[in-house]
Formats: sequence, C-alpha cells, structure tokens
Amino acid sequence: MAYFKIAIVLPVIGLLAACEGGHGTVGPDKSRDRGTDKKHLSQLQAGIWVDPNGCDHWIIDDGVEGYLSQRLDKFGKPVCSGVAPPTVATGPFKDGSRIPDVL
Amino acid sequence: MAALAVSVVAGAASAQQGQRTVVGERYIPTIWVDPDGCEHWVMDDGAEGYMSPHVSRQGIPVCREVNLCGVVNTDQLFATDSARISHAGKQRLHEFFRSAGAVSYTIVGHTDSRASDEYNMSLSYRRATAVASVARSMGARISDVRGYGERMPKASNNTAAGMAQNRRVEIMCWR
Repeated sequence: MAYFKIAIVLPVIGLLAACEGGHGTVGPDKSRDRGTDKKHLSQLQAGIWVDPNGCDHWIIDDGVEGYLSQRLDKFGKPVCSGVAPPTVATGPFKDGSRIPDVL
Repeated sequence: MAALAVSVVAGAASAQQGQRTVVGERYIPTIWVDPDGCEHWVMDDGAEGYMSPHVSRQGIPVCREVNLCGVVNTDQLFATDSARISHAGKQRLHEFFRSAGAVSYTIVGHTDSRASDEYNMSLSYRRATAVASVARSMGARISDVRGYGERMPKASNNTAAGMAQNRRVEIMCWR
C-alpha cells in the first residue's frame, strides 16, 4: 500500500516542480510569481466568475495558482452585473499564464 | 517553513502589561488593480495564490479610478423635492443610455444636506428609481437601485456650489 502511494505521489511532485521551475522556498515577500511563469502579481489577467446568487467575482487562472476576489462597487456593495449566468466564468482569465491548465 | 514568532505590542495603553507572542509566518502582499480600478491584496506562496479586496476599516473599497460612467446633476432632471423627470431630462437620459451600451447599470441617488436625513433617503431613492425606469424603458438592464440621501456627499454642504454637486444621480456601468 505504501509503495502504491509513493508511485502516485512522486510523478505529481515532479510535474509541479517542472512547472514552477524549482524556485525553492518563498520568503515573506509574496508579491511575485516565481519560476517558469515569473512576474509581479500586479500583472495578473482576470475574468469574471458569477456566483450562484448572480454576483461577480474576479477570477484568475495563473497556471499553478488560482485567485478569486469579490467585485465591489465604490460603496462596497457586491456587483451583480448579469454579464454571465450563475456559476459561469467568462473573459480572459486564463490568458495571463503560458502554463496550460490540464485539469 | 520556519515559524516566525511575531511580538505584538497590544497598544500603548497596555504596553506595560507586556507583550503577546503570536506564532505565525509573515505574508507580505502586493496590490492588484482590477479592471474597474479597485485594489485587491494578492499573494503568491509558491504553488498557492491568495486574493482579497482592499477595503478600508469602514468597508469602503480602495480604488484608483472609480468606474462611474455617468453623474447627472439632479437639478437638470427634477424640480426641487420632486422625483418626476422633466421631458428634457428624459431626452438626456435616452441619449446617455443609448451611447453607454453597458451590460447593466447600478443607479444611486444623492441629495444635499437640507431637510431631514429620512426625507433625503426617500427622495434620493425615488429619484434613482425614476432614472432606472427610464433606463428599463429603453431595454437597459438594471443591476441595482439605491438612495444614500445626504450620507455620501462628494463636496462640502457649506457652500451653494458644493450642495449643487451633492444633488446628483450616479450611474455605474458594468461591462
């Protein structure tokens, strides 16, 4: 059983290391994407994901990392724009990374 | 992943009572600006990413440029204390919604600080609703209608010019 688990886990670790370019540990400064896909996080490209209530969230698929954050108007209320139906993600949210989304 | 012991002084008043030790790791974020111009805290911890809206302690988002695609001075649409849009006002709004072409609109009414807070909350909401019904009559989609009365001034109510700026209906265009 233990042998079986290792056989599955090892290739996955290898795959992740390849994608990330083996950049070692990340220090307190979490402001950049390191490794293969390196950039400052201010350059992320977002789309909109619509939650089951119909309200918008910024969604970013940045290769290995995923981000989601609420879309708010200037008064702090949720924006429910109707740009897509509930539970749909739309826009260029996969365009900011060259790492393909295999899953 | 060495745990970092962060010593926190719990405010000047209680400093004498000593320090509290927090077991944690330091996560210093950066800022990502969304397409509306509002800021979000963002962190990349190697394989994980984290993000959350940057809001003040009062819950107001911190934005660089605010996505307001229209501000209509209510003097141009309504008579004093009225929520009925004039004919000329309707024409203006038709023109506005025809050229804006957004997916949907949030419409927010405001007043100056004369009259009571309660009265102004009601008047601003009725005016925003009137603007929204013009938009709906043209087939525009309305995502929200609100009235903030005199509670969200954009200029001082101590001058006539400031009060005129505060009497407004804001239209946010969502794309």
